[in-house]
Amino acid sequence: MLHYFYRFIILLCLIAGSSVSAQEAQREKLQSTIDAALDAIYSSGSSSLSDQEKQSKVRQVVEANYDLDVIIRRAIGRNWRLMSEAEQEEVLELVKQLVLKAYVKGLDGKSRPKVSLGEVTSTSSSRMEIQSTIVLDGQTYYVLYRLREMHSGWQIYDIVAENVSVVSNYREQLDDHFRKGSGAELIARLKELLQHEEINEDTKI
Amino acid sequence: MKIRKFKSPLTWTALFSLVTVSAFAAQGAQGSAMSDEDFYNEEVVSATSIYDPFEGMNRYTFEFNDYVYMKVLQPIVDGYTAITPDPVETGASNFFRNLKYPVRLVGNLLQGRMQGAWVETGRFVVNSTVGVAGIMTPADSINGLAPIKPEDIGQALGSWGIGEGPYLVLPLLGPSNLRDLGGMIGDRAVNPLKEPFSLIDDWRWESHLALSGTEFIVKSPDILERYKQFKGSAIDPYSSMKNGFTQYRRGAIAE
Repeated sequence: MLHYFYRFIILLCLIAGSSVSAQEAQREKLQSTIDAALDAIYSSGSSSLSDQEKQSKVRQVVEANYDLDVIIRRAIGRNWRLMSEAEQEEVLELVKQLVLKAYVKGLDGKSRPKVSLGEVTSTSSSRMEIQSTIVLDGQTYYVLYRLREMHSGWQIYDIVAENVSVVSNYREQLDDHFRKGSGAELIARLKELLQHEEINEDTKI
Repeated sequence: MKIRKFKSPLTWTALFSLVTVSAFAAQGAQGSAMSDEDFYNEEVVSATSIYDPFEGMNRYTFEFNDYVYMKVLQPIVDGYTAITPDPVETGASNFFRNLKYPVRLVGNLLQGRMQGAWVETGRFVVNSTVGVAGIMTPADSINGLAPIKPEDIGQALGSWGIGEGPYLVLPLLGPSNLRDLGGMIGDRAVNPLKEPFSLIDDWRWESHLALSGTEFIVKSPDILERYKQFKGSAIDPYSSMKNGFTQYRRGAIAE
């Protein structure tokens, strides 16, 4: 009887071991995605590319590894139901373009950041957090990636930069917007943001 | 009936492992049982409640600040960065950061962070002497004196359990709350260059204004850069700033 019991324990240890290797695999996947996204902007072949071409290359890299819909849906939350199907599709696409534009513009004129991934912490069997440090122009920033195992595999569902959760920030903005605004107005606002050549145009509140 | 006793250490270890792993599996099962749809709709824990009774006035002040930053400050900053070589910009920024040492020291002491107080003091001594009045930062390369996150009196008040109070947007200074406004007044009181406790006698208002103005312009390029990035991808810049500021401060206090 005890013999079977020990076999059961060994099996459980193997399961725990596979969880550790899953963490390591996700860490490596994230690191290679970040490196490839930075290559898309900083490699010698990319120097002649326009901002839009760089955004397109970064998008290809990211979408080959992660489903961007997850983090956007998480930011939209219950407001998703307040939009029609066509609006939902359009919002997903426009937010992706906006995020990629902010990413490429944010690095414009700056030297290539050095990104190092740190400790991986399991917060449950279906969620983990990966810490990272980013050294950009001599300053160090702390960024936390939150991942969850979805039906489509492990996906990034939030990025916390210097204690500021991107999802929480957008959720608050969208909650405020939908208290008095509509999906159509959100789409108009997103298009307006995308049309600006520079990201420092006048604020409209 | 004969009850078999588990005396073997291996048996006890195995039992302990079983209980631990079972508990973990139960927790995991609970997490993974949530559908993707429920997960998207899940409440986001951080910064879900920000008390903003003065929203109307805050939004107006935010818009005023935005106008001043973009139309008045930005051209000044552009001029400053165009005529100032990068090393001079960095040196000026270091100089003013070094002068704020008393604020960081008091912030650490009020929270009982002796290690932080020690690091800040060490950095101030090294940077003020070897680093020529704080223009350079040789302390960065000394083991144990690497830069740490700055502490202030607002953070100390937060760590004592004092609530944030209403969210405020201050003219020119930007996002704050009642507790941080109190902290800022405290910061000013321990700053040896600011009134009412300035260490410099015969402080003429012109000199005071010149120093404050220079400090503001020196700090502005970095702050404006971050501000524009924040604003550029925001659906509602006011709401984004309110949430970002509050999350940042709550995180700094919790650390």
